[in-house]
Amino acid sequence: MPDPLASDSNSSQLSCTLNSARDCVHVLSSMVEVMSQRAGLNDKETNRVVLAVDELFANIGQHGYHGKEGPVEMKAKYDGDSLWFEFRDYALPLMDTDTLRGQAVDTSQIRPGGLGLHLIYAIMDEVRHQALDDGNRWSLTKHLKG
Amino acid sequence: MKLEIMEHKLNTTNVVITLNGVVNIHTATQLRQRLKPFLDDQHKEVRVDLGGVNFIDSAGIATLVEGLQWSRNDGRRFVLSGLSENVRDIFELAKLDTVFEIDNGDS
Repeated sequence: MPDPLASDSNSSQLSCTLNSARDCVHVLSSMVEVMSQRAGLNDKETNRVVLAVDELFANIGQHGYHGKEGPVEMKAKYDGDSLWFEFRDYALPLMDTDTLRGQAVDTSQIRPGGLGLHLIYAIMDEVRHQALDDGNRWSLTKHLKG
Repeated sequence: MKLEIMEHKLNTTNVVITLNGVVNIHTATQLRQRLKPFLDDQHKEVRVDLGGVNFIDSAGIATLVEGLQWSRNDGRRFVLSGLSENVRDIFELAKLDTVFEIDNGDS
């Protein structure tokens, strides 16, 4: 898979390493908001993308690291066509996301992980997960309208 | 980004909880602790004013779902009000906008 960070003409990118602790979500939200606004998303679209990225970060902390603190590397980039985020963690591989995709929302069964994944898939155009020997790699892509 | 929570007891059975800030995985526990004492047999109506909330995530929504589940007993109401455009959008994405009782303030 080509590295979206390989070309940097007419693009903008940010990267950082966060701790999976819950209070770090505010730092992440700020960065995602900046990238979304730079990419030209409106307020509603920005709010959605911030939500999707926050949900993934929360899932990594809860289901990957099981509430313990661990490193989460984040890269973000946009170009003329898309806004892209990649997350790398060093936790055990997460659950099989395909089984949760498109799952009906049952208000008696709502859990942050299940509803969070539903929201991620509803907001982002591409969601990819790669289980690695020492963790997980996730990428979220939002196509930008011309 | 914090969450401020204010309670206004209208009488012995009805309460309004006003939220200001962000309801997310970091602040949802705080909300749950403040909300839970009202989800009992003594109370009949719990209204949550989200007018000061500019962002909510699935952890925040899951906390409000506890109120929804409490309200499924006869004679109880759990009402959300003051939803901003962005917060309403998230409820719609979650397909929960028609599940909760939402006061749109048009009456």
